[in-house]
Amino acid sequence: MTQFIQIIIGGIQQGSIYALLALGFSLVYRVTGVINLAQGAFCTLGALTAYSLETSVGLPPLLAALGAILATTALAAVAGRALFVPGLARLTNSNMLMMTAGLLTLFEGLVLVIWGSQPYAMPPFSGEKPWRVAGLLLPTQGVWVFGVTLAIIVALGWMLARTRLGQSLRACSENPTAARLMGVDVPRMQLFAFALAGAIGAAAGVVVAPAIALQFDTGRLLTISGFIAVAIGGIASFPGAIAGGLLLGLVGQLATAYVSSLFSNALALGLLLIVLVWRPSGLIRAKLARRSDVRDEARVWMHVSRLPSAMAWRGGGLLICLGLAAPFLLGQALLGALIITLILFIALIGQDVLMGYGGQISLGQAGFMAIGGYTAAYLATEHAWAPIAGVVAGMGLSVACAIVLAAVTLRLRGLYMALATLAFGLLIDSCAIGFDDITGGPSGMVGIPDFSVAGFAFATPMRMYFLVLALVVLIFVAVAGAMRSGFGRALQAIRTDPLAAAALGVNVVGCKMAAFALSATLASLAGSLYAFQFHFLSPDMVGTPRSLELVSMLVIGGEGTLIGPLLGAAVLTILPTVFQPLAIYKTLASGALLAGCSLYLPQGMFGLIVRLLPGQKRPIAA
Amino acid sequence: MSTLEVVGLRKSFGGLLATADVSFSVAAHSLTALIGPNGAGKTTLFNLITNLFAADAGTVTFDGVALGGLSSSAIAKLGVIRTFQTARVFPGMTVLENVLAGRHRLLPHGLAAQLTWMPYARRAERALAQRALALLDLVGLADQADSPATQLPMGAQKLLEVIRALMAQPRLLLLDEPAAGLNDTETAELSALLRAIQACGVTIVVVEHNMSLVMGIADQIVVLEAGRMIATGTPAAIQCNPRVIEAYLGAEAA
Ligand SMILES: Nc1ncnc2c1ncn2[C@@H]1O[C@H](COP(=O)(O)OP(=O)(O)OP(=O)(O)O)[C@@H](O)[C@H]1O
Ligand SMILES: [Mg+2]
Repeated sequence: MTQFIQIIIGGIQQGSIYALLALGFSLVYRVTGVINLAQGAFCTLGALTAYSLETSVGLPPLLAALGAILATTALAAVAGRALFVPGLARLTNSNMLMMTAGLLTLFEGLVLVIWGSQPYAMPPFSGEKPWRVAGLLLPTQGVWVFGVTLAIIVALGWMLARTRLGQSLRACSENPTAARLMGVDVPRMQLFAFALAGAIGAAAGVVVAPAIALQFDTGRLLTISGFIAVAIGGIASFPGAIAGGLLLGLVGQLATAYVSSLFSNALALGLLLIVLVWRPSGLIRAKLARRSDVRDEARVWMHVSRLPSAMAWRGGGLLICLGLAAPFLLGQALLGALIITLILFIALIGQDVLMGYGGQISLGQAGFMAIGGYTAAYLATEHAWAPIAGVVAGMGLSVACAIVLAAVTLRLRGLYMALATLAFGLLIDSCAIGFDDITGGPSGMVGIPDFSVAGFAFATPMRMYFLVLALVVLIFVAVAGAMRSGFGRALQAIRTDPLAAAALGVNVVGCKMAAFALSATLASLAGSLYAFQFHFLSPDMVGTPRSLELVSMLVIGGEGTLIGPLLGAAVLTILPTVFQPLAIYKTLASGALLAGCSLYLPQGMFGLIVRLLPGQKRPIAA
Repeated sequence: MSTLEVVGLRKSFGGLLATADVSFSVAAHSLTALIGPNGAGKTTLFNLITNLFAADAGTVTFDGVALGGLSSSAIAKLGVIRTFQTARVFPGMTVLENVLAGRHRLLPHGLAAQLTWMPYARRAERALAQRALALLDLVGLADQADSPATQLPMGAQKLLEVIRALMAQPRLLLLDEPAAGLNDTETAELSALLRAIQACGVTIVVVEHNMSLVMGIADQIVVLEAGRMIATGTPAAIQCNPRVIEAYLGAEAA
């Protein structure tokens, strides 16, 4: 019994952290209708700033904490002013989600540049020795976390209920148009909510830091946990966010104690998927739940970048010539980077069909890369299958998973669809780590043979390059054929107006399924090639960070334009190879590019190029 | 012979009765106009016919097939195609692509043929583009074919939507206020276009406020007021129906 209570205490501590994170999400969502994926990064920033203020500047702990919270809030305000709030006025909700993914990456990159990639362990506020209360052990930091969470909840509740500021905030969340008419400065309130979420995140980071190991990418894990908590509880309500956080913490601790720590992640994700399918708006529904689909309508701001046909053919020819000449001109390292670029481009074509054309946000593309990679590698290594048979088996498995996932998530849209794909990616992540008999666990799978077809081994980089190049050309041409015919048009129609598309007889469900399956197939192929290229595969090569990177590449290159993602992949793969010493800035740069592109270059680099071409009309906002 | 049969249709939103026991039938190849003051329930009636939401009571049959319970795309596959009151062209696509999207349900080539650039698929695409351009030419939008659809003025977007619906080869065409936002010449062109469509054997139901347009082209007029059907008949009969004059024309004159 004591043990059980002890576990519950641990669960409440963990849950308080999630609840704080969830609160930040909920605040921004209620006022702006957008999920702010950068929420977790505020925690890392806050915690590490406090650490530096204490150790390097020598401030007393309390002052250091306050200083860190102020600094993070200021940074959040700047990011909000420059990117987030302007974006709200003219981007769709899904593009805003991309932008906040960019902000997350940007902040992560900032942490990486300032604090490096090593983990930081911080001392607990009140010593290591747990308090003993009625035969129970209370970890002191747990008490701090719980106390601070409670204080923030009470303060926030008071502010919302009792102050004029709170009134304006609530007006914005209930009906922005009415709020504007009543004289509330809505953009100002949105900025305020964003900065306040930054402050809450920083405070959470400061108290949580001693309880967890902190490094530059912890923010992403915190974001994901908070996101899951808020999705379970119900994003549009504060009690829901808090309940979701606590529930997630308790389930995690109980699962760790009674099942296995390996599956605590999987259980949390399972819980999420069940809630998503059963009650998409969370356990506690707000009276005035915001419908993302309704809001999108009002500010669809789409661009149409089309290359004139003649120019497209000439450009394609030029690219192929360059592609054929490249291996003879480039050194070993650059050739390697080029191969990776092309492999990722295969996955990106799939992602583009699904996301750029079909408008279905997928944050789990790397999950399919993992399925393809591990299946092919395992069959080739352990069962001596012909590599090509393994690749095909991987694609089959991926399509099967994609169809199940699509069938389960089809009722969901926008935000929730993104969440479900994220959960799927994480689930695959934890399987890759957990099933170590097959995958080699966290340290990865070694000794993967060369790719070969009928005895011909693609053993040299040169051979591998031409194999991948040929595949890319083949796939590109095929998908281009579909995108400029009925399938592409149907997807684009579904993207902005599924209702009108259905009224014209477009089979919305079928088209989404097909797009899903196509994108899974291509990602799976890319994953297999990736494994054969490196002769090695580990979970972090095909994990959620990779999914986010693919999204960056897609947006930077230009979503909804087929060739654009190649530019995105090239920039993010080849530049860091060329400028090795600057590689540490890669995360920062890709985050800045992602966030900036969503706002200033709606069709990425490709859109920019088309716009700069002579004789092209500048696309005008509609 | 009637194609569309609406019997006892009823729908309420909360306390508001938006459609109250509406029954009428539409003869094949005829043009029926649905008129009534704002908020009379005309759009709601369209939404019920296309089963965007389910009716509380009543049935809709098209050529003997009950439409209740069918999905939007299944209804479209029967040849019942509608447009929306607020023009819903697809953003992010050119004018031509928008028109082509209307053809989706009739494409002869599936995904596999498109992926493999089958010659028949390419030929079909080219033929379609030609046809779409010819239709665009009909409403004077051919020279805009490659510009983004959402850049067109509102009136042109509504015409584009009519053209897009035509591409779907409707047997029953439901148009919700197609003349809203059109100037007088464009309205005249639209009425000629509607007559031509009707001559091709398409049954048309049109919601319209423009009385001169309605009186000029309709074979039958159905008048709604506050969800109820208060009159139905030929334009001549409607014009001298005292209830209609009071409820609709009177309200407009005031
Ligand atoms: N989805 C809905 N939910 C709630 N009420 C609705 C809904 N759709 C329509 N209504 C209400 O039903 C009534 C009829 O609306 P409808 O749009 O059918 O009128 P209408 O005849 O098309 O008017 P207008 O000429 O302005 O287009 C209105 O009072 C409207 O507010
Ligand atoms: Mg209407």
